[in-house]
Amino acid sequence: MWTLTARLLGCVALALLAGCDMTAGMGGGASEAARGDGTDTVKLAEYPERVFWGDTHLHTDNSIDAFGFGVRLGPEQALRFARGEEVTATTGTPAQLDRPLDFLVIADHSDELGATRRLYDAPRLLIRDATLRRWHDMMHEGPRQSQRAIAELITAAANDKLPAQLRDPDNQAKATEEIWTRHLETIDRFNEPGKFTALAGFEYTLMPDGNNLHRVVMFRDGSDRTGQVRPYPGIDSSAAGLWDYMEAYEKNTGGSVLAIPHNSNVSNGMMFELTEPGGGPMSAAYARRRARWEPVVEATQIKGDSEAHRFLSPNDEFASFGVAGWELGNLPLTRTSTPDMFGGNYVREALKRGLTIEALTGVNPYRFGLIGSTDSHTALATGDEDNFFGKHTGNEPNKDRAASPQNLGTSTGRFGWHYLAGGYAGVWARANTRAEIFDAMTRREVYSTTGPRVTVRMFGGFDFTDADFGGQGWVGAGYKRGVPMGGELADGGKAPVFMIEALKDPRGANLDRVQVIKGWTDAAGKAQEKVFDVTWSNPDKRAMTGGKVPAVGDTVDRARATYTNTIGAKQLRTLWRDPEYRAGQNAFYYVRVLEIPTPRWILFDAMRYKLKLPPEAMKEAVAQERAYSSPIWLVAKKAATTT
Amino acid sequence: MSHWRRLVGEPLVHFLVAGAAIFAVLSWQGSPDDPASRSIHLTREDQARLAVNFAQVMGRPPTDSELAALTGQWLREEVLYREALRLGLDQGDAVVRKRLAQKMDVIAASAADAETPSNEALDQWLNNHADRFAQDMALTFDQLYFTSRGRAVVAKTLLGGGADWIKVGDPVSLPARFDSASRAAVSAEMGAEFARALEDLTPGGGWQGPVESALGWHLVRLRAKEPGVLPPLAAIRGRVEDDWRAETGRERQDAAYRTLREAYRVRIDR
Repeated sequence: MWTLTARLLGCVALALLAGCDMTAGMGGGASEAARGDGTDTVKLAEYPERVFWGDTHLHTDNSIDAFGFGVRLGPEQALRFARGEEVTATTGTPAQLDRPLDFLVIADHSDELGATRRLYDAPRLLIRDATLRRWHDMMHEGPRQSQRAIAELITAAANDKLPAQLRDPDNQAKATEEIWTRHLETIDRFNEPGKFTALAGFEYTLMPDGNNLHRVVMFRDGSDRTGQVRPYPGIDSSAAGLWDYMEAYEKNTGGSVLAIPHNSNVSNGMMFELTEPGGGPMSAAYARRRARWEPVVEATQIKGDSEAHRFLSPNDEFASFGVAGWELGNLPLTRTSTPDMFGGNYVREALKRGLTIEALTGVNPYRFGLIGSTDSHTALATGDEDNFFGKHTGNEPNKDRAASPQNLGTSTGRFGWHYLAGGYAGVWARANTRAEIFDAMTRREVYSTTGPRVTVRMFGGFDFTDADFGGQGWVGAGYKRGVPMGGELADGGKAPVFMIEALKDPRGANLDRVQVIKGWTDAAGKAQEKVFDVTWSNPDKRAMTGGKVPAVGDTVDRARATYTNTIGAKQLRTLWRDPEYRAGQNAFYYVRVLEIPTPRWILFDAMRYKLKLPPEAMKEAVAQERAYSSPIWLVAKKAATTT
Repeated sequence: MSHWRRLVGEPLVHFLVAGAAIFAVLSWQGSPDDPASRSIHLTREDQARLAVNFAQVMGRPPTDSELAALTGQWLREEVLYREALRLGLDQGDAVVRKRLAQKMDVIAASAADAETPSNEALDQWLNNHADRFAQDMALTFDQLYFTSRGRAVVAKTLLGGGADWIKVGDPVSLPARFDSASRAAVSAEMGAEFARALEDLTPGGGWQGPVESALGWHLVRLRAKEPGVLPPLAAIRGRVEDDWRAETGRERQDAAYRTLREAYRVRIDR
């Protein structure tokens, strides 16, 4: 009897303090292999020979905002869903991925971890702070009011005006400890080396004045190491503080950790500054730390795409994908964005700024790879347009979501239709384990897609030939005599040559074209960029005219939300040598692959719910989904490297 | 006032609710300690319970001083909890009502949580839910990729003449060899039609095809095809136990509710 009572007491107390997941079984503990980093658990391929798909940025009911937005699914359901099982979404709809993911990082906000649930659960009588009491009431009133409460909470956080109660460090530390310990146990139980990888992580939510400087922090290690630390809270800290934490983690545990900046598009120019934070020239030491701890950046997700903006790239006809709505201002829309801020908001410009800073300091702070993620707050890592479960529980499938205002703050301008369906990370690794996935991120052999599982492969070198490229041994040649995406080539006075391949998503749309985006610093030290169309479908009928490849066409039936693969190609390959190479210039090259036009999620909604979308939404109802590779850098002899 | 404000985030507040739930359990169990009395008796068993709870969170037993602190904290909570009940703080609060109802569910399910099911019970569970645990068909094969059917047909002739297979296919970012790949994985990587086509091939040493996939055409050397089997319990005990626990817990909640509900007469005005 005591055993039962003890367990009950433990669970009841935990449930109330920390939100113990009642559905989790206590038995069936994780195996030794599942608790570690996966080293020596599965056979490794000689080279990375397949892409592993995952999401590094998923929120569950442990996130302060996600819970307030209404989600009632926790890490366990999130993991079940990611590995392909059907779960019931918070709003009652059955949810399942078309194809399982290979890995998942649950990245709940470290700040006030579990706090909204504690506020929700607290007896009203004892909540004396007027604001907290109002939020408590709103959360109990219903989903819509709950979402409004969380919007207020995010704005308060952005303005540094959270009630003191919510920020009591002692209470928070205790709650965080309990949630984290339990969370690590859960992911170990789901981590199956070779089959499905569950990595530890959290989101660091730095947000001065509402300008988004968030990072996802991701660990390589098992719970023996990650259990020695707690997620680092940082809403009012600085990125340098986060790096100190990461450095201490590696030093104290012997483990490895990295950070992934995201949503630079709503940072109002602060994510990729030319200066150090707060002004003043960037020092080599600062640049080195940034490059060391942040090897990859999330270039696309539900809250918009951050690759390129037409203001910065006027000659790129495909720039400004997924910027509508998001380009208006910072995260809660409390401050508007002006064009002078765009340079620090978009990834391509950051890669160029990296070269500029390298020319001045000898170190490139922005030598990063690109991945995509969802940033879903529903515990459901959905990335497909026809299976979009919303940014948060308030916009899980329902007839109103596409046209509803979605402002986190009090200004106007963002609507449901501005959300993208979310992206995924493609990872070239030798096996599906924590260590292999993490190490691929570190060496930047990863890429970003806006959802479709397009295969993108790229090798850079100097002596690749048609014979190499045309034979089965091209991958081996790529690794032996060159570098894969994410790598660095030392300039040797010869134009670099690239082996590039794109394969369509086997369950998705054909491909329109493959482009190489080159950035470099010219003789005057000014950063430049150029987009090259390097191979495209139906070249016989689509001859380049005036430097432009004609549009691929459009098969989308707007009334039925369908398309046909009667245009485009299944596979696009090319061996491409930079025709504008100049010796001694620092440069980067990344690949952008475009699919043929397909319906966006709002068109599927319009069909399902028989809606008439507003005209401005209809303009965004069809899109060319895409993939961005990590760059390969050409490093001139004089410049030092970051590694 | 200020100490009340502090209490919101304190475990005490949450413990009021937890306490009410435990009160329900203890009174149902006939606990010797009446929460309404002003006498508190902390037995060795109570202390062991605190230690177990600590160990569950921290992964190690508490030290003596930690246990003393836990005991002190428990005592403080117990006193405040009893006084809160005296003040009637548990009455008329929607959250308390909801949480108590949830706790009843937890109580019903917790027997399943604490129980270690026997091998026989799990074995039966495994066989009764074979569809949940059966492995997918495993396919072991080599594949050569071609951009057109015609090229695949020509290559098949070359292979028949003894050409080195690894040099025959068109280059592609797909593995040439698949070892015991599940049908689902093959379907995800090459398309459903390709996985279906492979199911119909007979394993052997020769090249078969051309087989069409979502990505192009293929010649396939199917080396082994293992049907989806139900693994023995020993191999997947943890998964079966998790599944048993989750579902048994839910069933017990429903059964417990039905039993309680039968004792009520309910009238709902329309």
